[in-house]
Amino acid sequence: MTIRHHPGDELLLSYASGAANEAVSLLVASHLALCASCRAAVAGAEAAGGSLLARVPPVALGEDAYRAVLSRLDAPSARIVRQANLEGDVPAPLQPYIGVSFDAVPWRPMTAGLAHYPLVTKGGMRARLIRAMPGAAVATHTHRGEEWTLVLTGSYHDGIGRFAAGDVQSTTPDIKHAPTAEPGPVCINLAVTDAPLVFDGLIPKIAGWVFGF
Amino acid sequence: MMAHASTLSPPGAFGFVRPVRPRRLPARGPVALMEAKPDQAALWNAAVVAVAQARDRAAFQRLFDHFAPRVKGYLMRLGAGNAIAEELAQEAMLAVWRKAVLFDPAKASASTWIFTIARNLRIDAIRKERRPELDPNDPCLMPAAERRADESMDWAQAEVRLHAALSQLPREQSRIIELSFLAEKPHSLIASELGLPLGTVKSRIRLAMARLRQALGDGS
Repeated sequence: MTIRHHPGDELLLSYASGAANEAVSLLVASHLALCASCRAAVAGAEAAGGSLLARVPPVALGEDAYRAVLSRLDAPSARIVRQANLEGDVPAPLQPYIGVSFDAVPWRPMTAGLAHYPLVTKGGMRARLIRAMPGAAVATHTHRGEEWTLVLTGSYHDGIGRFAAGDVQSTTPDIKHAPTAEPGPVCINLAVTDAPLVFDGLIPKIAGWVFGF
Repeated sequence: MMAHASTLSPPGAFGFVRPVRPRRLPARGPVALMEAKPDQAALWNAAVVAVAQARDRAAFQRLFDHFAPRVKGYLMRLGAGNAIAEELAQEAMLAVWRKAVLFDPAKASASTWIFTIARNLRIDAIRKERRPELDPNDPCLMPAAERRADESMDWAQAEVRLHAALSQLPREQSRIIELSFLAEKPHSLIASELGLPLGTVKSRIRLAMARLRQALGDGS
């Protein structure tokens, strides 16, 4: 897997600092599962967090704090287990949301060759999976806000570039595109938007409204 | 803009409610970084390993005395009230005890590991959100094509280079990194509060991250 398009430092830093919301964090963490170079960048940023923790002005705890914690050390706690499943192609951070197989996702059909499945909706931020059969195209649209798309399987092109498994495409409001799945494996994407998409034409507009884009 | 800023940064948190006059962060520089000198970092790492391997309570108490007030300070810095910060600091130290077996000094230093615990507890308890997280020891991670910095490097050495790089960042870059960690707000808001174009903030982030990458031996 050769990843050509990365989330970018701003997103990696937001993820490392904890400022990124759940939808963005899901996208970044899933990309990290596939990208060693961005894992290294996040490790660097987290170390900056560790260094800041060492320098933040300490605030004393209550007098009984240590005793309170001590009394809980022997209490039974959930066993620490690695939850990631080695089978299948669902990145570990996505597994708590959909399980270990894309086939088992309760896909909701949209237009020809397209289906989606919402994962996170909070505030204006949404994360959803989009499945496109080879050749299927999303109607031409622009964006009111930013959109990030992580390709999980297969690939698509949109006239701006080609995006394959592991790649992240960031689009800003000024970009107008119509992503089309390429021949080959089914193209499954994790799409995160912070505002609804804006479709060209009445039918796509209505469809976009119906499907919550 | 003022109203928006106040909702993101609770009054009395860290004074970033006023867009044009952000409170200065505490003095920093090489002296402040003594905290992170390598032998001290190695001692903290060893303490977590002792907790993991021997359930060493003396080592745990040293970790508690040092890190619990810092975790509490970090949480309050991000706007948590005293009571919730106290509670979460205790939870974080309990997690240090319980999860010590997962600590791998080859992947991160103790202070970085404890930072990630506190960060995630905060997201869970205060923001009531899930934190999609990557387990760096997960065997199903896609390996790097060639040897990369994050696989099997000497983290103790990397940490020294990293802290040197952090202390040498130009003030304008380190400020933005600090604000990203210590004031939870979008970079667009950080830009407007500092009176900078968003593009400038983004390019400072890129420059700073490039230095950190280089310090880790990635791409250098």
